[in-house]
Amino acid sequence: MTTLLVAKQYIKIFISKYEVYLKPLMKLILALASLMMINGKIGYMHRIDSVSLVLILSLMCSFMPMNFIIFVAAAFTVLHLYALSLECAAIALVIFLVMFLLYFRFSPRDTLVVLLTPMCFLLKIPYAIPLTMGLLGTPASAVSVGCGVMVSYLINYVADSAPALSGMDADDMATKFKFIIDGLLNNKQMMITIAAFAVTIILVYIIKRMSVNYAWTIAIIAGAVVDVMVLLIGDLMFDINVSIGGIIVGTIFSVLIAKVVEFFAFHVDYNRTEKVQFEDDEYYYYVKAVPKITVAAPSKTVKRINTSKKKYSGGQSKR
Amino acid sequence: MTKLASYEMHEGKKHIAVMNYFRGDYIGFQVLKSVIAATISFFALFGIYAFYNFEELMQDIYKMDLLEYGKSIVILYLCAVGAYGVISYVLFSSKYNRAKKSLKHYYSNLRNLASMYDNE
Repeated sequence: MTTLLVAKQYIKIFISKYEVYLKPLMKLILALASLMMINGKIGYMHRIDSVSLVLILSLMCSFMPMNFIIFVAAAFTVLHLYALSLECAAIALVIFLVMFLLYFRFSPRDTLVVLLTPMCFLLKIPYAIPLTMGLLGTPASAVSVGCGVMVSYLINYVADSAPALSGMDADDMATKFKFIIDGLLNNKQMMITIAAFAVTIILVYIIKRMSVNYAWTIAIIAGAVVDVMVLLIGDLMFDINVSIGGIIVGTIFSVLIAKVVEFFAFHVDYNRTEKVQFEDDEYYYYVKAVPKITVAAPSKTVKRINTSKKKYSGGQSKR
Repeated sequence: MTKLASYEMHEGKKHIAVMNYFRGDYIGFQVLKSVIAATISFFALFGIYAFYNFEELMQDIYKMDLLEYGKSIVILYLCAVGAYGVISYVLFSSKYNRAKKSLKHYYSNLRNLASMYDNE
């Protein structure tokens, strides 16, 4: 454990020392990964499905604010869908527009979740998102995660029904609109996932704020169990054919990710908990103080035991 | 001192930008932006709805009372924009109050720091 704590300290020092370079690098990696994933999943427009363009845009994103990545990713998605069908692009554009105009005005910090959720879906670990957002965010993050889930299912749905959409008559716009919107609104798996993630976020948030010992760990485990249960109940009720093994394996990985987040964000020693009482003119205070576990990173000092050459300029050898 | 510097660099910047306005001006401006955003969103969603029900609308267009239909859409629009405006008002008022409180705390800490320097 001490080794891990020392490593954490080293990482903290490293990040604070090279923050100026690391921030753009992280943005570059995030933009690159997201644009590559979009191109891989729905690369219908060949003009923008090129590595050089993705690299140029990612480099641009690395020097822009974080929300610019989401803007570029949304634009990429709409352009790819436009190449497939105008109706798809219009629906995606309206969904993004409504999301950005109505919700993300109030919580611009949460916009990143809309990008990370579809990425986690592609990596088969979507359950990590509600657990980590419950730990680090607020109950309002449920809306952001819901938007992310919706975008993810929209992309998946379009990718799956691309042959059907291409086969439809180009003039029959209304039928295409109906086909896409019905596919989205009647997607019970999407609705259940949104509900399960919302419940998980709220539950994790409530438990982690309690003053019980190991609140964060309890929150992670309870959140994971409830998430799996809601998904399974949804599966039983609506017969949506989810992969139970996939849910369980994905949840185990997500719990591990959440534990890593806990290690970096909230690592305390419950054995040294102190309970104190005091008062002032207006209140009595019953305080529970839990100390954070901190380890000083060992600093290496280099002590020179051989003297410099200059002192022996009179022709004496070092030995 | 480190805390004050960190606040100045991150949250403080936003709070100072908020406090550059009078309360009424700030909230009014934000609510106006919300109304514009809600209007754009409403018409975008209505466009999607109209395309979705395009065939039914075309079939019924000569049968239906267009004035009544228009009226119901305007009422729906006013309700949606009104509700969103109220939510914006509440959220931005609380944001303004938070910024005010936070900056008050910051300035009081800054005064304490200055007096500590004077004592030295």
